[in-house]
Amino acid sequence: MEKTRTPKNIFVEGAIAPEKIAKSIANHSSNTAIGGHSIFLGQVRADEKEGGHVRAIEYTAYEDMALQQAFEIREAVFAKYPLTCMHIYHSLGEVKTGEICLFVFTSSKHRKAAIDACEELVERIKKELPIWGKEILDNEQSEWKVNT
Amino acid sequence: MKILAFGKIAEIIGKPQLEVDDFPTTEILLGYLHQQYPALKNHKFSIAVNKKQVNGNAPIALGAEVALLPPFSGG
Repeated sequence: MEKTRTPKNIFVEGAIAPEKIAKSIANHSSNTAIGGHSIFLGQVRADEKEGGHVRAIEYTAYEDMALQQAFEIREAVFAKYPLTCMHIYHSLGEVKTGEICLFVFTSSKHRKAAIDACEELVERIKKELPIWGKEILDNEQSEWKVNT
Repeated sequence: MKILAFGKIAEIIGKPQLEVDDFPTTEILLGYLHQQYPALKNHKFSIAVNKKQVNGNAPIALGAEVALLPPFSGG
C-alpha cells in the first residue's frame, strides 16, 4: 500500500544530541531490507571573525514555510531515488561550537541511492529552507551567517 | 495586511512583524518599505507571498501572508 506522507516537524530546540543520532540508527535495525545508510551531520565551527571567534550560532526560521518547503524537497527526493527512509532535523535557538545543528539520514537497499540522496538533501536544505543563523562571538558581538 | 520579517531584515525594521495597508503588488510594497526604511536598500532580501518565494513584480492577494526573507543561512 502506498503510504501518504504529510509535513513533519524537522525542528529541534537547541543542539541535536549524539544520543538522538545513535537512537535513530538503532531504530532502523528492524528494517532488514536496508543495505546502506548515509548520514550528514552539520557541526558549528569556531570561525575567526573580526574581534573574536564564533562561540555559538543562534538559529531562527520562518517555520511554517520551512516545514512546507522541507516537505516538498522530501517528496521530490523520494521520487528521484529508491529510498527506504529519510530523516531531517535542524536546530533552532542556540547551538554552541562543536555541537550538531543539522542531521540528515537516508537509507536504501544499496549505498548509492542513500549517498546521492543525502548529498542532494543537504544542498537543498541549505539553499532552500528559510532558516537564518546568527553567529555569536566570544566578545558577545554578533553577525548574520552567510552560506557559501 | 501582515508582513513578517526575519533575520537581518527584522533587525533593520526593528520588529518581526508589521501591520500595513493592503498593497496590490510586491513592487508597490517594496516602494513603501524603501521609503519607510531606507536602510533596506542596502540589503538583499526576497519576498514570499503565502509561504512561496516570488520573483519580480508579483500580485498580493487580499489577506495574503507576506514575508521578507534575507539570504538563507541554515545548516
